[in-house]
Amino acid sequence: MVDELEFLKKDWQKKDEHLPKLSFDEIYQMIWKKSSSIVKWIFYISIIEFILPHLLYLIPSMRNNLSIYSDLELTNVILGVSILQYLVIFYFIYLFYKRYREISVLDNAKQLTSNILKTRKTVKYYVLFSLSMVLLTFAMLIVGIYFSDNIAETFEMGEKLSETPPEKLKWIFMASFAIVGVLFTVILGGIYFLLYGLLTRKLRRNYHELQKLEV
Amino acid sequence: MNKELEHRFVTELESNQNIVHKVCSLYTNDRDAHNDLFQEITIQLWKAYPKFRGDAKFSTWMYRVALNTAITLYRKSKKRVQTQDYDSVIFKIKSDEYDDTEEKQLKLMYNAIKQLGDIDKALVFLYLEDKDYAEISETLGITEVNARVKMNRVKNKLRTILNP
Repeated sequence: MVDELEFLKKDWQKKDEHLPKLSFDEIYQMIWKKSSSIVKWIFYISIIEFILPHLLYLIPSMRNNLSIYSDLELTNVILGVSILQYLVIFYFIYLFYKRYREISVLDNAKQLTSNILKTRKTVKYYVLFSLSMVLLTFAMLIVGIYFSDNIAETFEMGEKLSETPPEKLKWIFMASFAIVGVLFTVILGGIYFLLYGLLTRKLRRNYHELQKLEV
Repeated sequence: MNKELEHRFVTELESNQNIVHKVCSLYTNDRDAHNDLFQEITIQLWKAYPKFRGDAKFSTWMYRVALNTAITLYRKSKKRVQTQDYDSVIFKIKSDEYDDTEEKQLKLMYNAIKQLGDIDKALVFLYLEDKDYAEISETLGITEVNARVKMNRVKNKLRTILNP
């Protein structure tokens, strides 16, 4: 039985005459075009993901919310957590940059794919960390409310809610913060992991394919 | 210094462009996508060119960058419908060169290869380009044994398509 691929190989090597031919100038133009590779995409999207959570603090209502912390006597706790948070964030950015620099098109296909996935994973862990911080913030607020004596005043709703018993009011606030916190985290996380999945689907499939061979 | 480098690079790519066109024809389905991928490979080659030492042949070096771009870096901008006229550009089979059966077989095989996954395509491509298993395994980052095993699977796949 003739090897089908040998037969195909002969034909393949005769194909040259049918191929398009680009001129020197056409190729010269191309080298100045911007790359639209997946690495570029991952880089820009990751930068956005690093910055986005911090932009939230620029929204005026968010800044006002910060005063809630001092009313709830959480200032010192918040300060400590913030310092820790920024240390971790800088570590993530450093790690991301280091891994990003390691991506080289001159590696073999498996190594290249693995390096890109590793870079992307750094951002994934960062997002998981940020989401946990969001949850933690809500948790601290709930604890703050629990120990607070004057809940209606803190949220500037004194008059409207003065008839409600303070104890009941406390539980209502705590429950709503818990619900909002969880919803917020789940929605943000959902959007993120959808994006993450779409962006790396092809990479993961091919990486899996290359790994499958190693059994 | 840069002018000279640009000139040398474009000249080398111009005379070796067939390799890139062949990769593009395997990994894309229409002319726009073909040109898109060609451009991306050109950009990647140019970006990596300063690291090209000349201890390997330019063409050998190109295989790796071109395949890496097609397999890993390239993002299809849109889902495209395969158009008939494009398909015939690269996989054109002249009827006067072959008898009917051979022509049909080749067409079937080219179609079958287009259906393969990204990695299988790369294997077939390197094989068709007469690369040995050592080079195939090095380019893809798998062992030589695994390259052979995988290649046999692809051959079997093609065989079943041709002899149902």
